[in-house]
Amino acid sequence: MDLDKDNANPTIINPSDLPSRRRSAPTTKRAGIFDVLAPAYPTLLAAPSSPPEAQSDISSDSEEEEDREEIDEQEVYDLISTISDPEHPLSLGSLGVVTLDDIKILTPTSPRSRISTVTVLITPTTSACSLTTVIGLGVKVRLVNALPPRFRVDVRIKEGTSKTADEVNKQLGDKERVAAAMENKSLVSVVNNMLATCE
Amino acid sequence: MPAITLLATLSPPCNARTWSSTPHPHLPIIATACSDKTVRIYSLQNFQQQSTISGGHKRSIRSCAWKPNSRGESVLATGSFDASAGIWRRWEEGGGNGQDAEIDFTGGLSGGGEKDEDDDDEWRFAVILDGHDSEIKCVTFAPTAPLLATCSRDKSVWIWEELEDDNFETVAVLNEHEGDVKCVAWHPSEQLLASASYDDNIRLWGEDVDDWACCALLTGHEGTVWCVEFEDANNIYALGSSENLTSEQQAYVQVRLKAGPRLISCSDDMTIRIWRRVPKDKPELPAGQIKTPSIWKNRDFEEEWIEECRLPQVHERPIYTVNWSKKTGKVVSTGSDGKIVVYEERWKSSKISNGDADGDVVMAGGTPAPDMEDLTAKKVHGSEGHMGGLTEWVAVAEVENAHDVFEVNHVVWAPRADKDKRTEDEEVIVSTGDDGEVNVWTLDT
Repeated sequence: MDLDKDNANPTIINPSDLPSRRRSAPTTKRAGIFDVLAPAYPTLLAAPSSPPEAQSDISSDSEEEEDREEIDEQEVYDLISTISDPEHPLSLGSLGVVTLDDIKILTPTSPRSRISTVTVLITPTTSACSLTTVIGLGVKVRLVNALPPRFRVDVRIKEGTSKTADEVNKQLGDKERVAAAMENKSLVSVVNNMLATCE
Repeated sequence: MPAITLLATLSPPCNARTWSSTPHPHLPIIATACSDKTVRIYSLQNFQQQSTISGGHKRSIRSCAWKPNSRGESVLATGSFDASAGIWRRWEEGGGNGQDAEIDFTGGLSGGGEKDEDDDDEWRFAVILDGHDSEIKCVTFAPTAPLLATCSRDKSVWIWEELEDDNFETVAVLNEHEGDVKCVAWHPSEQLLASASYDDNIRLWGEDVDDWACCALLTGHEGTVWCVEFEDANNIYALGSSENLTSEQQAYVQVRLKAGPRLISCSDDMTIRIWRRVPKDKPELPAGQIKTPSIWKNRDFEEEWIEECRLPQVHERPIYTVNWSKKTGKVVSTGSDGKIVVYEERWKSSKISNGDADGDVVMAGGTPAPDMEDLTAKKVHGSEGHMGGLTEWVAVAEVENAHDVFEVNHVVWAPRADKDKRTEDEEVIVSTGDDGEVNVWTLDT
């Protein structure tokens, strides 16, 4: 089996050397992230068919929550470093696929805008890793589901680390393709396995 | 500066992402394609859901289209991520003709959305169109012929001809795109189809003798082209009546009339571009700019389109939809940044003595396409290439966070139909978002 892997002997980082703030990070596990076809936004799940008044209450609640809840790079790292690699029984953090330095958060570009952008650069374990797209998808799905909806999630391959980077970047940046992939049962099952090790 | 004001949110909203909304050609209703595999039909008179279509598709419904000129009965095409397209029928009020005695439609004719708002049983599944290998992204009926176009992630565009009711035959499978085909749009008066692709290109397709083939390739976008649309032929008159125009402006109007409706496109590259056909029987070129015959393509079938201009760049993330008002010529756009922006085309106030002045004119917004500065383009298109510089596009209104913090997937102009409408031909903007909501906006001047 190991012969089929793109990188049978990856460099592994000792878990205790990985940056983490897990103990203090809020662990709000949301059950069944693929129960709905669209992104499982908490406000929608909380009030699937509430009347307009109730909805506006909820959105003002979530605004307050946004103000309270500042999210930094470390928190994003903690959300994705525990994702399992699809071909090794190891986390993306310990394989160095995701690193704290390659996560950037851009705050809203204007005072009126409430949209922040998280950019994650992933480093495939080998330059020919055929599973790069799946890893990227796993990271994207994890963040879209775990972060508040005001975050736009851009997942890209770190420059110079993969021959197919442009192609993979374009796929991961294509909302329609990501949405369709999440309606594909076999892909969802692969991604679910990767995310099973996340808190 | 005009304001975009929220008039209503259609009720009830969907619990999952909504992809796009398509106004009915003559009834005050709109069909919303939802990722929960349903289509919701809402009334634009009272903003309530009127009916739903469900149970037909196995995955997201991405797009829907109303068949034009189907008086008496509404016909809706649906395109789904399950790779199939569906055709659905529903009698309009007073439209039933009793031809099919099997179907009991007498109990629930409502049509205009004025009564029986929750009568969900009226939509009849008519036929399923199979053929695409993967997700269908867009479906659209031709306005001039009984043709339906569909496009897919399988990189193909299919053209279906409806020979008789519900009997669709594949007349063309067009495979020249090198990536997903995201959107297809018909020319308003010719049998000409535009397609936008993940390969960053736009292609135009026409019927050459007996076969459909690509007649133009429009390159320039630096990212996925998400949406294309032709303008209405009457848009030119939105610029003002001819007696008040300078001779140069009148010449531009003539070029536009000869070229026919322009095409607009929006892209992942955050630009919106307008493309114009170079007419074949062109007016005489100024001396010294006579083209050599070899520059021109041999076949009459092939067309030449040039990028006329770009709209002011307001969006900060990929632009998913651009839509051209048939009534006012205004353009509305939306995308990942959650903004809705309205643009208007105006005559430039500063007079331009010749085409070379393009680069010197300070513009409120629209930038001339770089191609126009290009020597080759100048040689080929002569003075016409520069005539786009006579008008400018200005962003006249903008709203941020149109769907709270969510992405907005689609935006479209629709006739205003609620009781508070101010003028006979007032329009509203209808936006469709990731939050599952469809919002209706007015443009207040």
